[in-house]
Amino acid sequence: MSQFRAKKLDLSGFINSRIIRDHTKRKVFEQYEPERQALRYIIRNTTLPARARAQAQLQLSQMHAYTRSTQIKNRCVAGGIARSVIRDFRIARYQFREQALAGELPGVKKASW
Amino acid sequence: MAGQYSRLLDLAKVQCRVFSLNFNPERLRLGNKVLRQRLRGPALAAWYPKNTVSFRDLQDTCKPLGLTTFDEAEDDREEAIQIAKLRGKGRPKKKRTAAESRTAKKKK
Repeated sequence: MSQFRAKKLDLSGFINSRIIRDHTKRKVFEQYEPERQALRYIIRNTTLPARARAQAQLQLSQMHAYTRSTQIKNRCVAGGIARSVIRDFRIARYQFREQALAGELPGVKKASW
Repeated sequence: MAGQYSRLLDLAKVQCRVFSLNFNPERLRLGNKVLRQRLRGPALAAWYPKNTVSFRDLQDTCKPLGLTTFDEAEDDREEAIQIAKLRGKGRPKKKRTAAESRTAKKKK
């Protein structure tokens, strides 16, 4: 959502709209994570009054979708692809292959036996 | 036997105090596991590479101070535009009013 988006682009490297969107979600999640955890604690604590817990449930469910960690998707840093992204390198499979064959990834070697 | 149990409880209590854990012998659901979790936000937010200082930033900081910088790419671009203009291939003049744009359409 545009209300969360940074006014000035703070990314470098490969950029497309989906990467910007995902980056925005990540930053919003980071910002609201303590609040979400506090609400989750209130909900999980059975010794607190039922009313307070119900209120916390309501509040948590009414928070913006961008504050949710499940909205975040790992995307390829070099191509923006969201599928088959290798987490250690943050790169999708084809970019990984290209870069590995070009020798740009230290320690990665084509297997042969 | 009962005395032994209370002693064990005391031991657990001391243990919890020493290691700053939550003493909860009744095994109530206190939601402490939420508080024990580490925040994942900083790690998640650092996925994409951050913006670094570029030559453009340097230029932008120099300009208000009255200093000039030489950018070869920008120089080439302006030169190419000049050549295109001489060949009559420059960009058309901006139409400022609605009437102007209408006459421009009719000519076609």
